[in-house]
Amino acid sequence: MLTEAATRRGRLLQQYVTARITRLDRVNLALFDYDRYNTLYFFILNADEQIYLRYGGRDEKSATSYLNLESLELALEKGLELHQLRRQGKLPAPPQPEPLYARDIPALYERTIGRGRCVECHLVGDLLNVQRERDGTLDKLRHLYRAPELSRIGIELDIPRGLRVASATGAVAEAGMRAGDVIRELNSAAVWTFGDFQWEYGSVPLEARAVEIAVERAGELRRLQLRLPPKWWLTDLTYRNLSVDPRVYFASDPLAAGEKADLGLPEVGFASRVRMVDSLSDLLGSHELQVGDIVYGVDGVTADEVADTPELHIKLRKQAGETVTLQVLRAGERLELPLKTSRMSFRK
Amino acid sequence: MARTLHSLAAQAARSLVYAAVLALAQPAAGESAVTWLESYEDALEEARRTGKPIFLEFRCAP
Repeated sequence: MLTEAATRRGRLLQQYVTARITRLDRVNLALFDYDRYNTLYFFILNADEQIYLRYGGRDEKSATSYLNLESLELALEKGLELHQLRRQGKLPAPPQPEPLYARDIPALYERTIGRGRCVECHLVGDLLNVQRERDGTLDKLRHLYRAPELSRIGIELDIPRGLRVASATGAVAEAGMRAGDVIRELNSAAVWTFGDFQWEYGSVPLEARAVEIAVERAGELRRLQLRLPPKWWLTDLTYRNLSVDPRVYFASDPLAAGEKADLGLPEVGFASRVRMVDSLSDLLGSHELQVGDIVYGVDGVTADEVADTPELHIKLRKQAGETVTLQVLRAGERLELPLKTSRMSFRK
Repeated sequence: MARTLHSLAAQAARSLVYAAVLALAQPAAGESAVTWLESYEDALEEARRTGKPIFLEFRCAP
């Protein structure tokens, strides 16, 4: 077995207290902040709740892209090394965030603890956004695009080897990064794992135009000034589609430029062909779209600097409960159809 | 077709890795090196008692 004492992992894990948390009822959510759309996530910390490192993280394709037993062993080794430094007084503890528990978030409490239900990870992410919306603090771009893709800046990692760069192209190549470099810091914060890096990278303000990445090369630390490309934070949100309201009960695919030109639609815009109509749309009287319809506008707006589909435009720019007017092409005829947006129910 | 097969193979590989990482956290049929506590408070207490660091797993229940 993978965890037998004689294995490398077994030997490493025996040097830890190991604990598994499957419900977040009594967990300090501020201390253990992570993108709740990870199905597995790990922290290495000490008894004073000083977090040494994180292990986990995902990309838009899969929740497992960066989970790897070899890199996990590297993380376990690094955790032990950092613990030794801490015991020797060589690793100062950072300030702790203000504690935040599930009971402190009314929207979360009402749906979980208040009904005797378990506080599951994804519910924390979703209902925290509901609470932010109630409080007027929800920033949909900030709170949805929290796991930027490394590929957009040209980093491909040698995943089993942690933060070792397999290939560097695009923006990071221009900054001087090379294959074989090992990423050590982001904006002066030490990063030991992909989980560390993604968490720090996801904390960079969306309006940032540059970051500093320190890499280790031939035993030397080199600081690279990276100019971030436009919309460096943009990712496919499909996997976290339920994270914020409203719901619209259809899905569409963006038209290619040639198709737009053939249909007389503007080249720049989110015109898309409806691929799927959720059966709930009938039940809720949400809309009368049909598969194959082309939606090219929402309330007369045909383009969005972020959204490439009308449903994403609605999600980012509208509030649940609003009724919008869709501009639609159906069999060559231009139509205006109403769409009533909805709030998610969280029923499982 | 080749692309589809490649995609399926990549998906299968990812599933295997995921299963392996999950297996890491499972109790072994025989001797297991790891005892998993289910309480964070117990983990803190054990870490204070032993001086060990804590390896804390968050797993979203299916």
